[in-house]
Amino acid sequence: MKALRTVLSLVCLGLAATQSHAQTPALSAATGAEKERIAGLVTEATKEGKLTYWDTVMQPATKNALQAAFVAHYGLPKNFQIEFSEIAPSNMITRLEQEAKAGRATVDAAAVASPIWVAAQARAGALMKYDSPEYANYSLVAQAGLIEPGSYAFNGAYVFVPLWDPEKLKVAGDSWNDVIAAAQEGRVSVGNGAASDATIMTYIGLRTAMGKDYVAKLAAKKPVFIPKSETIASRVVSGEDTMAFMGMPTRAYQLNAKGAKLSYLMPKEGVTLLPQNFFILANATHPAAAKLWFDFILSEQGQKIIVEKEAMISGRNHFISPIPEYAPQIDKLKLVRIDWNKMTPDDLQAARREWMDLFKQ
Amino acid sequence: MVSTSGRAHIDAPAPATDKDSRWLERLAPLAAVWIGLLLALGPVFATLLRSLMVDGAPDGLAFDNFTRLFADPRARQAALNTLIIGVGVTLASSLLGFMLAWIVSRTDIPGRRSFEILNLVPFFTSPYVGAMAWQYLTAPHSGILPNLARSWFGIDLSFIRINSISGVIWVLVLFYTPFIYLFVIGPMRNLNGALEDAARVHGLSFFQTMRRVTLPLLAPALLSGAIVVFVTSAGLFDVPVILATPYSIPTVPALIYESIGYPSDFGRAAALGAMMMGVIIMLVVAQRQYLGSRRFETVSGKGYSPRVTKLRPAARNAALALELVYIGCGAVLPLISIIMVSLSPLWRGYFEPSKITLANFIYVLDEFELTRGAIVNSAILSIAGASLIVALGFLQAYSLQTRKNRWANALQPLLSLPNGIPGIIFGLGILIILIRTPLYGTYWIILSAYVAHYFPFALRSIGAVLMSLSPELEQSARSSGASWLQTMRLVVIPLARPGLVATWLMVFIILVRELGSTILLYAQGTETISVAMLILSEQNFLYVAALAVVQVALLGGAFILMSRNSKSLFD
Repeated sequence: MKALRTVLSLVCLGLAATQSHAQTPALSAATGAEKERIAGLVTEATKEGKLTYWDTVMQPATKNALQAAFVAHYGLPKNFQIEFSEIAPSNMITRLEQEAKAGRATVDAAAVASPIWVAAQARAGALMKYDSPEYANYSLVAQAGLIEPGSYAFNGAYVFVPLWDPEKLKVAGDSWNDVIAAAQEGRVSVGNGAASDATIMTYIGLRTAMGKDYVAKLAAKKPVFIPKSETIASRVVSGEDTMAFMGMPTRAYQLNAKGAKLSYLMPKEGVTLLPQNFFILANATHPAAAKLWFDFILSEQGQKIIVEKEAMISGRNHFISPIPEYAPQIDKLKLVRIDWNKMTPDDLQAARREWMDLFKQ
Repeated sequence: MVSTSGRAHIDAPAPATDKDSRWLERLAPLAAVWIGLLLALGPVFATLLRSLMVDGAPDGLAFDNFTRLFADPRARQAALNTLIIGVGVTLASSLLGFMLAWIVSRTDIPGRRSFEILNLVPFFTSPYVGAMAWQYLTAPHSGILPNLARSWFGIDLSFIRINSISGVIWVLVLFYTPFIYLFVIGPMRNLNGALEDAARVHGLSFFQTMRRVTLPLLAPALLSGAIVVFVTSAGLFDVPVILATPYSIPTVPALIYESIGYPSDFGRAAALGAMMMGVIIMLVVAQRQYLGSRRFETVSGKGYSPRVTKLRPAARNAALALELVYIGCGAVLPLISIIMVSLSPLWRGYFEPSKITLANFIYVLDEFELTRGAIVNSAILSIAGASLIVALGFLQAYSLQTRKNRWANALQPLLSLPNGIPGIIFGLGILIILIRTPLYGTYWIILSAYVAHYFPFALRSIGAVLMSLSPELEQSARSSGASWLQTMRLVVIPLARPGLVATWLMVFIILVRELGSTILLYAQGTETISVAMLILSEQNFLYVAALAVVQVALLGGAFILMSRNSKSLFD
């Protein structure tokens, strides 16, 4: 009797799920085999009931907006959960490495701006192979070596560029050289190269575009080494620093919305794109939900939410940015070309040592 | 004062009805010691083993991680800075904590009951928040105090260097002085004033009496507190990371944190942790050798009340000024600064009353779902953790003092080992051991880390309390027919109560603020307040300030409730 009740409940649940999926935006827009594939994933995801997602940049409000749109897009139950954590990159990587070694999995999908580590994870088989149909919309960044279709994409990218308060500092010109001329000794900040991959990646880009001597000029300005992008920008607002050499336009966007007056510059010699690499773990315990989440985050709708809320740069082909003043379109940026796939963790460490020597950090 | 003291093991035959009690008497303390050894040695061995693991070595083990460390000038500079910070904080906190405890427990300054509680307020603020508060207060170009001094009085305060080793020491002293204060105030209250009176009658001056009688009698508590302060201040990474690391001042905990990050170098991190363990073992052994040759009973069966020194007006004013300066710098100024910051929509280096907003509090308490869960989680983990730790520490201290022999002497440094490991390394050790068990991702893994890491605090603190109780009290109770349980319940625990309460409180607050090991062990749904603060710091420090105000209010409220239940918290 109990078994019969269970079977009937499952049948009812299945019927309800099928009916609720019938008119969802995701299924309405799909046809043929793709429609069947999505319907299958939605049914599986409904059974899974939740998904765990970690990100090093995305804020909870953005996740909430994405979750509401995601559930509506696929017609998932209203009680479908997305367990989310915004976590520092080093902590995320340590946890994921330890879990992978132990064969444990508490995270389904994650995003972190550490392309060298992510590429190494893909090579080691720690990332799930998934041929999302959305990869077709990321062919330009794939050609640039910023993603690896089938293994990982990026849910947005950011840059570290000079940031200042024009009421307290004048910066004339549009070159990295103009920036260094304006920077005041002891009143400029950079990232913490000793602990931050993003800072070292920016250093590699700067070295490529301007040469090592240029970085030595920056070191001569006796900068302070600040680990968090929020603190970097806040110190400029408070007047403690007059310039953040490695500021994040996302923070300018968020602080200016509260009354700050921060300006930033994309120097003409080029900037280093820091892709927030996005992947599904190979041993994810909610694989169907993770795949749907992956598709949704990379979709036009998902990207629009991320760019609007986080001022991130989308890698989607021909994506029109809703806030181009803070999140310019990727094809309008002059980028320093670096093939992160060809770099190893040892290369990253060598660059870190160079940084430490230059800055005597 | 020449003979070694300890709890005498009672061999008198117990009444037949006390079989259960007899069984408990033998088993419970011993089991506590074995549990402690297991908890301590697991992560310690994991750390030691990891520090010796080298790719390509014949057996996979070598000293390469250590030789690399010694060859690295930055690591050497970090070790020196950490030593300076640890010693500086320990000396200054010991002096200040002792003086504050003496002022409130042994003098007649006005409002001493209030000061007794107010002296603990800095303890409620996490050092992380305290460091941020002092950064906001004294930053050279945007600090509240330099701005006020400049605009109101035309005074230049640029000589204040908060971003320096002395700045780190200053902040740590403010927030670690309550450790010493908590350790010594109980024994100081219980000190037999007749001993000091005898010294004074025989012609010793006030300071001579203090040096030759008071200080030696309080040595166990003072030394225990000093070791705790040295280890925690030298092992803390959140204060140097805010005040020193940005200005190229390396410290060992900051290097460890850096080594855990990608590309991770766990061998280097573990080697740094192992070296810190070595230092703590030496300190504990030295402490035991010093204490082992002396007697320290300050509580005996004779009734007396502690002497209250009537201060002269100048001395009274100086004592009052010291109290006010300490509470002002340790509590009032940091609180004002974080309250100002938490009420601002944007921090421009000064407070704008016309723009006051509760938006940061609304976000933290209402919109950010994680906070409410984190507050509940912190309360559950800290109450359960502190209770388990005090129970374990009490039984261990009792067992080690009852069995005063070679083994007991050897066990104590072993049981102190977890103290020598910075939280993040300890968390990693626990993670390595428990990640394959069902405990991973639950409250239990965090609770295990808390108990394993912090029980030595309780062991040392309660050990000092038990050492101050004369064994005659217990012997008298047993000779009068009381069972072991009755003796514990009616004699030992009531006499040790102030020390036990102080230890519980200290551990509870340490756990509420704990971040080092929690950061690697939490999972969705088990985040604590400290984890929430770290997550919020990635978004906006104004949110952190709002949560810090909430944290201080909750801890302060709990403390006031507790203190209302007794005439004096430490009586």
